[in-house]
Amino acid sequence: MPYHEFEVSRCIPERKKHAVVKGPGETLADALPAGYLNTIPGSISERGCAYCGAKHVIGTPMKDVIHISHGPTGCTYDTWQTKRYISDNDNFQLKYTFATDMKEKHIVFGAEKILKQNMLEAFKAFPDIKRMTVYQTCASALIGDDIEAVAQEVMEELPGVDVFVCNSPGFRGPSQSGGHHTICIAWFENKVGTVEPEITSDYVINYVGEYNIQGDQEVMQDYFNTMGIQILSTFTGNGSYDGLRAMHKAHLNVLECARSSEYLCNELRVKYGIPRLDIDGFGFEPLGNSLRKIGLFFGIEDRAEKIIDEETARWKPELDWYKHRLQGKKVCLWPGGSKLWHWANVIHEEMGVDVVSVYTKFGHQGDMEKGIARVEEGALAIDDPNELEGLEAMYNLKPDIIFTGKRPGEVAKKIRVPYLNAHAYHNGPYKGFEGWVRFARDIYNGIYSPIHELAKIDISRDAISTEGGFKTQRMISDVNLPDEVKNDPSMRQYTGAYDSLARLRGKTYPVFERTGDKQVAVEMATAE
Amino acid sequence: MEQVMNQRMEQLLDHIMKKCLWQFHSRAWDRERQNREIIGWAGRVLLGECDATPPDPLDRCHWVDGVALVRAWRERFPWINTLAVDEIRALMESLHARLDFLTRTGSLNAELTDPHY
Repeated sequence: MPYHEFEVSRCIPERKKHAVVKGPGETLADALPAGYLNTIPGSISERGCAYCGAKHVIGTPMKDVIHISHGPTGCTYDTWQTKRYISDNDNFQLKYTFATDMKEKHIVFGAEKILKQNMLEAFKAFPDIKRMTVYQTCASALIGDDIEAVAQEVMEELPGVDVFVCNSPGFRGPSQSGGHHTICIAWFENKVGTVEPEITSDYVINYVGEYNIQGDQEVMQDYFNTMGIQILSTFTGNGSYDGLRAMHKAHLNVLECARSSEYLCNELRVKYGIPRLDIDGFGFEPLGNSLRKIGLFFGIEDRAEKIIDEETARWKPELDWYKHRLQGKKVCLWPGGSKLWHWANVIHEEMGVDVVSVYTKFGHQGDMEKGIARVEEGALAIDDPNELEGLEAMYNLKPDIIFTGKRPGEVAKKIRVPYLNAHAYHNGPYKGFEGWVRFARDIYNGIYSPIHELAKIDISRDAISTEGGFKTQRMISDVNLPDEVKNDPSMRQYTGAYDSLARLRGKTYPVFERTGDKQVAVEMATAE
Repeated sequence: MEQVMNQRMEQLLDHIMKKCLWQFHSRAWDRERQNREIIGWAGRVLLGECDATPPDPLDRCHWVDGVALVRAWRERFPWINTLAVDEIRALMESLHARLDFLTRTGSLNAELTDPHY
């Protein structure tokens, strides 16, 4: 598996160790890109900082919490206009963002006083919210403010409130991934085990590494509820603060994004003996197998099978419609971390696209192992790319679409490559059976956008045809399809609702008799 | 015959690498345990040597992945249902060794030996 040297990065020779091509017959033991290293000076990469990774990725999706950054206001930039980790409490954590607004004078004289003032004011402004997280930033870390001491004072002054402090300044690690690690360990050490939950089912899980992007968590929650499984906590999308303090009482940790939160599952396994089951919530087959495995663990596999049968019957004809039209389309799968391996194989198998490149902004070598293992031969794998490398890859690979974040996505559009937002999605949720069809629809809409066809024409160079009218998506996508596929009545385009979550909120679920209840009843009868 | 068995082992391995995640836990000691336990359970399930759900939760989690693996193998690779007991044992042994090499002893992942999570 040879390393790949970008022309544009010849002046940065260290970069050569960060990209490989998966060659025929080669294995992970032949070559692996370097990863989770400091970005090389001179390489303008696309990473976030460790503060961002702790707060904006992991901490803030917690829904019933005041999240305060102890630093300049600019550190709180990522809120409802950029993040899409929604919640079922009217998106409190997205609608309101808090910062202590540190200024130069605070750097000189200290900022503990304004921190305390801000915390008290925030609790006063939102009297129904009794939980708070406080995030150290570069500024407050460098002057050494004792945030824990201030938090303790506030908790003593305001009985009933609880505060979590996360010391993950921007410079603590090479990327946002350092912040994921820090907050996981801090939460485990300081908060897990401080609340005793009410157990309402024989089957109790923590759903870990799930951030409810456009409702992903709520889709999976629906499946778990239908199976009679109690979700004690979700780390952290749509999750509650106190639920996450009770993680120690779960029977199983169901882990989605291992990149961001495997640390927590590993610690829960070591200290509390809770097993870690890694799952894939994306794609019909991986999701079906994941539900089956959880069902098998608890001895309720029949409940999983029922969901899989119903959902497959409902949505598979729609997935197949898109698969025929996406066959052979070239994709650059360029997300931040875990989606490079969550999606690498299943979009090829279930949507027919060819993944010609994978990259990760902040993944570790373990993520590259998973991603490279799952792509087909010939794919280019890049760690922590810079903008010029991304451009060079697109010019060489000529993808039909790329899945990435909004910043590199806009760069791609400039060279007329359509992109889908892999982090926050275009029209999600993408998890679940219906969600997977929504993803396929978004890919189809991206590749076959009539506007995009027009954008490909360079009016300074290309002749503009005056013949032929405006082409619709179907005229473009179906041009080479055989009639039996075009006219196959068993397949159809997406027929779900604009808001696929509406039907889930307020839904009632079957009540299953608990084995524990039976035992209690027998014991009570015996005692009487 | 050896070549056939090797090809078959590679088919099973390719399935694990493309469809599973359990072999890529973050540390070498985790991968050693995961590979040993899950391939071990898969072998016992193939041989019909396990007919009860393991009571210990950690064991059960490994067993779940082993059962899932065998189900997928039986569906994708019908030849596996024709193997004799000795052939299954030999196949699992070579698969385990190869998986250990790719994910652990031969892995180029520099984080595997980090002493902390």
